[in-house]
Amino acid sequence: MKGDRIGSGVEAGLYVPEIATIVGARDLTWQDRVFVVELAGGRSLGHRPGQFVQLSVFGFGEAPISVCSPPEKAGSFDLCVRKLGGLTKALHGLGPGDEVGIRGPFGNGFPMKAMRGMDCLIVAGGIGLAPLRSVIDSIFLNRSEYGRLILLYGTRSPRDILFPEELEAWSADPRNEVLVTVDEASEGWGGHAGVVTTLFPRVTIDPVRTVVVALVGPPVMYRFVMAELEAMGVPEDHMFFSLERRMRCGVGKCGHCQVDGRCVCVDGPVFSAREIKTMKESV
Amino acid sequence: MTARRRAMLGEADVWALLERAGKRGPLMAPVKRGRNSFAFEWVEDPGAVALRYVRTVLPPKRAMFPEREAFLRFRRPPGAGAEAVVSEEPYVLFGVHPCDLAAINQLDWAMGRRHEVVDPNYVARRGAATIVGMECLPDEYCFCPSVGTCDTREGADLFLTPVGSGYLAEVLTGKGRELLDGRVSGREASSEEVGEAEAWSETKRRMTSCQVDAEMGELADLLDSRYESQVWEETALRCYSCGTCTIVCPTCFCYDVEDRLDLTLMSGTREREYDSCQYPDFALVAGPHNFREERSDRVRHRWFRKFVRLLREYGKPFCVGCGRCTQSCTAGIGLTSVLNAVIAEARESAA
Ligand SMILES: Cc1cc2nc3c(=O)[nH]c(=O)nc-3n(C[C@H](O)[C@H](O)[C@H](O)COP(=O)(O)OP(=O)(O)OC[C@H]3O[C@@H](n4cnc5c(N)ncnc54)[C@H](O)[C@@H]3O)c2cc1C
Ligand code: SF4
Ligand code: SF4
Ligand code: FES
Repeated sequence: MKGDRIGSGVEAGLYVPEIATIVGARDLTWQDRVFVVELAGGRSLGHRPGQFVQLSVFGFGEAPISVCSPPEKAGSFDLCVRKLGGLTKALHGLGPGDEVGIRGPFGNGFPMKAMRGMDCLIVAGGIGLAPLRSVIDSIFLNRSEYGRLILLYGTRSPRDILFPEELEAWSADPRNEVLVTVDEASEGWGGHAGVVTTLFPRVTIDPVRTVVVALVGPPVMYRFVMAELEAMGVPEDHMFFSLERRMRCGVGKCGHCQVDGRCVCVDGPVFSAREIKTMKESV
Repeated sequence: MTARRRAMLGEADVWALLERAGKRGPLMAPVKRGRNSFAFEWVEDPGAVALRYVRTVLPPKRAMFPEREAFLRFRRPPGAGAEAVVSEEPYVLFGVHPCDLAAINQLDWAMGRRHEVVDPNYVARRGAATIVGMECLPDEYCFCPSVGTCDTREGADLFLTPVGSGYLAEVLTGKGRELLDGRVSGREASSEEVGEAEAWSETKRRMTSCQVDAEMGELADLLDSRYESQVWEETALRCYSCGTCTIVCPTCFCYDVEDRLDLTLMSGTREREYDSCQYPDFALVAGPHNFREERSDRVRHRWFRKFVRLLREYGKPFCVGCGRCTQSCTAGIGLTSVLNAVIAEARESAA
C-alpha cells in the first residue's frame, strides 16, 4: 500500500505500517525486553541515533519506541521496550517469528555531527539508556572521530540495570568512563547510590570541548541535570535533551506532542537546552 | 477583483440545486434538530435542509474530518497485513457560513500542509467536496469581525447570499460552475442585486455585539505577557474539563487513535477520534507524569494554542469567531470574556 496514490497525487501510506518480523528477543530485566526487528528483505531502516519508530502491535495500537541500535548495524534494528500498558504488555509476549508493524523512522535524532571531534558526555536515566545506546554504539563504531566518551547512567535499583554486559564492554576502553548509580541500593551492590546528578562531581570535563546528550526520565531531572551542567560551564547549545510526550501519529498531525509552539515528533524529540529554556511546559 | 460569475437564483432554484446534488452523491447540509438547534448531517431528503440557521452544534469539518474514522484495516499475525482506508467519494457540502469556510481553510493548512506532511484521509475527503457557502447573520455569540473571517469566500466553490426573495450565487471555481451550470436556471445579477449582497458584510458587522478587545497582530504578545495570569485559575474553578469546547470547535484538529478488533479477533481497524486538550490525560506520559496536570494548565493551553502559538505559526488565530464553544459550555465560560479579561490585564500591567 505504501506508495499508492489517491486522486490528487497524495500518498495514501502515511499511516500504514510496514510489516516487520521479530528475529530475536531477550529479557534484559524484569520489565524490559529487547527485540531485534527485521524489515522485509532485510531492508535497512535508515535511521539516525535518537530517532524513533511508531511500533504497531495490531489490535493493541501503536506507540513511539526509540531505535536502540546504531545506524551502522545492517539487516535489522533493535528496540528495547519497557512493559507498561496494553501495547507493551502484548509486545512482551512476542518473540522470534512474530510480526509487528513499523512506521518511520521519525524525529530529528541526536546531533551526531556536532559531537564529532568533541568529548561526548552522555547522561541516561532509566529506560533513557536505550536510545542513547544507539549513540554510544555509533561512537564505538567510529571511535576515532570522537573524543572522550563519558556515560553517566542512573536507574532505580540494581535489578533495573539495562545492557550490563555492554556497560562492561564500554568501560573497558580506556578512552571511556562509565559510571552507574542506583536510587535504591540493595544487598550486594557495591556501586554508587543516589540519583544520576550525584555522579557529576565524580567526573571532570572540559566544558567547551564537550557535547552533552541526555535522556533522564522525569521532567524534574531534566531541570537538575541542566543546572548541574551549567554550573560546570557547558554552554546551553552544547546540551541536547530528548523529550518524551504521548504521541499518536508521529508525523505532526494528531496534536498530542505539542510543547509550546513546537511539535516533539517532528521538531524533536531532541532539543538543545537553549531551545528548551524558551519552550514553556517542556520540562 | 476578477470577474466572477454572479447569478440570481430563485429559492426554487436552490431547492432544485439541492435535489440535483442529492441525486449525484452524498449531501451534507444543516438540518433542524431541536427548537433552535441545527446539525450538519448527511441528508437523505434534500427537502429537510435548513437554508437559514445561525450555527450548528458540530461544525461542517465533520464532512472531511469525521468525529470517528477508520483509517487502516489490519490483519493480525500470522500473515499480518495493513492497508489504508481512504474515502474519495465525491459529495456536496451545502450551507457553510463564512467563519466555517475560514476554519476549513485553516484545517487545509493543519492537515494538508503543516510540517510538509499531508494527511491522506483529510485531503482525500477535502478534495472530494464541492462546497456551497451561505451568507449568514450573527447572534450574540458571533465575533467574526474581530478575527477577520466574516467575508470569507475562499474554500467555497459556490457562494449564496440571500437577496430579495432569492439568492445571489457567486461562482468561485470550476466545481461550483459545474454544480450550477445547466442544472438550475438563473439570470445574471443586476448591479442593484450585487450591491444588496455586498451590503451584508456591513450589516453583519453592525449586528455583531461580541468582540475581541485587541487587534489580531498584538494578541499573541498580549497573552504571552499574561502567562501567569489569575484569569486561568479563575476560569479553571468553573471548568469541568469536559472537552465540549474543543469538540464543537471548527478549527480544533487533535485526535486520538485506537485499534478495534473484528469479532473474529483476527482482523480489525485502526480508528481516530476527536481528542481534547481539556481532558486530564491528554498530556499524560509514563511515570506517570502529566505535563498539564492542573486544570488551569489545560485552560490556559486552549487560549495559548489558538491565540499565541498557532497564531504565530499560521499568521491568523486558530479561532474563526463562530461562538460554538461559548454557546456549548455547560459552565458558561465565554471564549471572548476570558480573552478580554487577559487582554485588559495585559494592558493594565503594561501601562
Ligand atoms: C520519542 C519517544 C521514544 C520512546 N522510546 C521508548 C523506548 O525506546 N522504549 C520504551 O519502552 N518506551 C519508549 N517510549 C515510551 C512509550 O511510547 C510509552 O510508554 C507508550 O505509551 C507505551 O504504550 P502502552 O500502550 O504499553 O502503555 P500506555 O497504555 O500508553 O501506558 C503507558 C503509561 O502511561 C501512563 N498512562 C497512560 N494512560 C493512562 C491513564 N489513562 N491513566 C493513568 N496513567 C496512564 C501510565 O503511567 C502508563 O504506565 C518512547 C516515547 C517517546 C515519545
Ligand atoms: S466546554 Fe466549558 S466546561 Fe467543558 S472543557 Fe470547555 S471550558 Fe471547560
Ligand atoms: S474557539 Fe470557539 S469561537 Fe473560536 S472557532 Fe473554536 S468554537 Fe468557534
Ligand atoms: S505525535 Fe501526533 S503531532 Fe506529534
